[in-house]
Amino acid sequence: MQKLIMIKYAELNTKKDNIGMFLKALKQNITEKLGDKATILFDKGRMFIKASDEHFDEVLLKVQKVFGIHEIMIGYETSSTDIEVIEEALLLVTRDLSFTSFKVETKRSDKNYPLTSLEISKHLGGVILKSRDCIVVDVHHPEVTINVEVRKDHAYIYVDKIKGLGGYPVGTLGKGLLMLSGGIDSPVAGFLAMKRGVKLEAIYFESPPHTSVEAKNKVATLASILSEYGSSIKVHVIHFTEIQEEIYKKVPHEYLITIMRRMMYRIAAKVAYQNRCKILVNGESIGQVASQTLSSMAVINEVVKIPVIRPVACLDKLEIIELAKKIGTYETSILPYEDCCTIFVPLHPVINPELEKCIEYEKLLPYEELIKNAILHETILTNSPKKEFEELL
Amino acid sequence: MIYLDYSATTPVAYDVLESYIRATKDFMGNPNSIHGLGVKSKALMHSAIKQISDLFSVLESEITFTSGATMSNNLALIGTALANMKYGNHILVSKLEHPSIYQICKYLENIGFEIGYIENTQDGLIDFEDLKHQMREDTILVSVCAVNSEMGIRQPLKMIRQIIKKENPHTFLHSDMTQALGKVAINLHDVDLASATAHKIYGPKGIGLFYKNSRVPFTPLLYGSGTVNMYNPGTPPVPLIVAFSKAIRLATNDLDKRENFIRRLNDKIISELSKYDGVQINHTKICIPHILNISLDNIKAETFLHALEEYEIYVSTNTACSSGEISTTVMAVYDDKKRASSTLRISLSYLTTTDEVNKFLSCFRLVYEKLSLLKKEE
Repeated sequence: MQKLIMIKYAELNTKKDNIGMFLKALKQNITEKLGDKATILFDKGRMFIKASDEHFDEVLLKVQKVFGIHEIMIGYETSSTDIEVIEEALLLVTRDLSFTSFKVETKRSDKNYPLTSLEISKHLGGVILKSRDCIVVDVHHPEVTINVEVRKDHAYIYVDKIKGLGGYPVGTLGKGLLMLSGGIDSPVAGFLAMKRGVKLEAIYFESPPHTSVEAKNKVATLASILSEYGSSIKVHVIHFTEIQEEIYKKVPHEYLITIMRRMMYRIAAKVAYQNRCKILVNGESIGQVASQTLSSMAVINEVVKIPVIRPVACLDKLEIIELAKKIGTYETSILPYEDCCTIFVPLHPVINPELEKCIEYEKLLPYEELIKNAILHETILTNSPKKEFEELL
Repeated sequence: MIYLDYSATTPVAYDVLESYIRATKDFMGNPNSIHGLGVKSKALMHSAIKQISDLFSVLESEITFTSGATMSNNLALIGTALANMKYGNHILVSKLEHPSIYQICKYLENIGFEIGYIENTQDGLIDFEDLKHQMREDTILVSVCAVNSEMGIRQPLKMIRQIIKKENPHTFLHSDMTQALGKVAINLHDVDLASATAHKIYGPKGIGLFYKNSRVPFTPLLYGSGTVNMYNPGTPPVPLIVAFSKAIRLATNDLDKRENFIRRLNDKIISELSKYDGVQINHTKICIPHILNISLDNIKAETFLHALEEYEIYVSTNTACSSGEISTTVMAVYDDKKRASSTLRISLSYLTTTDEVNKFLSCFRLVYEKLSLLKKEE
């Protein structure tokens, strides 16, 4: 009898012809996280992950951060499907559990097996009943459900289930560019896009000396937390100081944010195109701030053709915070460093910006040149620790 | 010089010292500063902490750097005792602890806690039955060292914790792992709180480690600012942290290989020294080979130590921290006051050579013969 992790796939059963591609990607994503600490086998119904005792808990934790999984079961594989072997394994598995009522639920994917599912359940239930005192079978509200799955060469027994993250394996739906600011919303937006199978790169706008290295490091940390749910996230850092200062000098202050966002969108769209990202993803939430009113969104979105996905658009701030806490980005997001959306904030930003005015104001700026320059000088943030540190440690 | 006192302290490893010097020179910024220099220091410090937390599979926030194991023991025992007062005031410790633990217990007793002492078997193993028997509903903390400092007795912490938690799930286990770290494999998940220090594992003096699982309620004893090192606030000593991190990585490498080598040296010393009538070997089957304790029948251990010193051989009596008294460990294991009154500790390292052991053994003979002659003349 071997302890193993069994995985029930999430929404993948809606996929017919290309399910193979999804499963391969899922396996690939899990392998990337576990390395040689586990062996993975899969078929269309289940994935089986085996790991040594030493690594088992670590593997279990990591699997819980993979998209495309509906449920994770901690189970035991029997050496054969002989009913005696299953009985013996079942008694071992249930030995240390304490319960007063239970039921056995059997699934049989091997339809040639001599007993039907119901017969197996009844038989095994009887075995457990005989093995201990003071317990009853309760098929409606059992304290413990013992699951048995009889497959071709092995049977699998499991009691404990952990809910998986759901969604599609990251990467199966292509690549998107996340506008990552360092706030609470954008990492959550990234997480949700990843959940639907989108592999992410990220873009971050820095404005030194108005923004600090700390702020940039914070973004690197956020990207690395998000990476735990998929593969590593490349962060494009755009030097935004000149553009921002130019806007500040020349544009009426109530339009500062609107114009700034339009510039950011333009840059993001270009970076996305250069890096084969098919969509932009950001953390805008309807009505949260002046630049996120419907009129603002319309005027800002107007500068790009690329689809902009706003996964948290319809969530309340508290809902977003709850999610941020769950995925582990909240504590980092609330570190108090200025980012380029919080500097140069006018007292009364326009809530209903007019497109004509935007176009008129932008004529005051040599923005195409500035944008070209900014993209040309982008740097890439990496999450891996610096080599200098490695030598010291 | 033949140094056989590695359990008192160790020489700093070359690479560790090198890291210390470079971190001192190149990372002068205060990690609490927000400018580039500070940020650089902070990033290095976090990498160092992460390396440690990864090695032990614990959270970064569960690690506090202290001045050494004594401070760690203070935080662990007093901080946990104060925070858990509402659940009880009973604390259990083994009879094989480092003196610092008993000093802390004395203080805790003064402020109203009740201290119980767990018996051990003849091998030095914690007496599980006695532990079970002494566990109460108001027992809040148990402290058992992973490896005893005088004889090297190693305790099965995982099993001890299981027993404790079965008797009372609200009782926490602290372990002073000072003599275990870098000598044998340790698992921080076997305990709730732990102490260790850098200078016993070829790291610098002045920095220790305090591990506290995030679930353990805790009352800080020191207050100040700074976002890391929660229970020992102030400006973190980045170069010491870096050096400690490196020392841990290097010292936890090849543990088995090193232990096997040291075991051979230890076997050799035991087989030679047991030939003397006036020498008793204080070693049981659960002792680790890095520490070897002997009792001298009619010779004062201190005299013997100084006589060996003339040959530039360095060993210790009891432990460096408790010279002058009788060995509490030997007393706890053998219940023999005479045996416990004159003990020598020889502690070995993977740096010890066979040649050094041979020289030690021949000098031991010279000193032994000379001093036992004096004894007879008296």
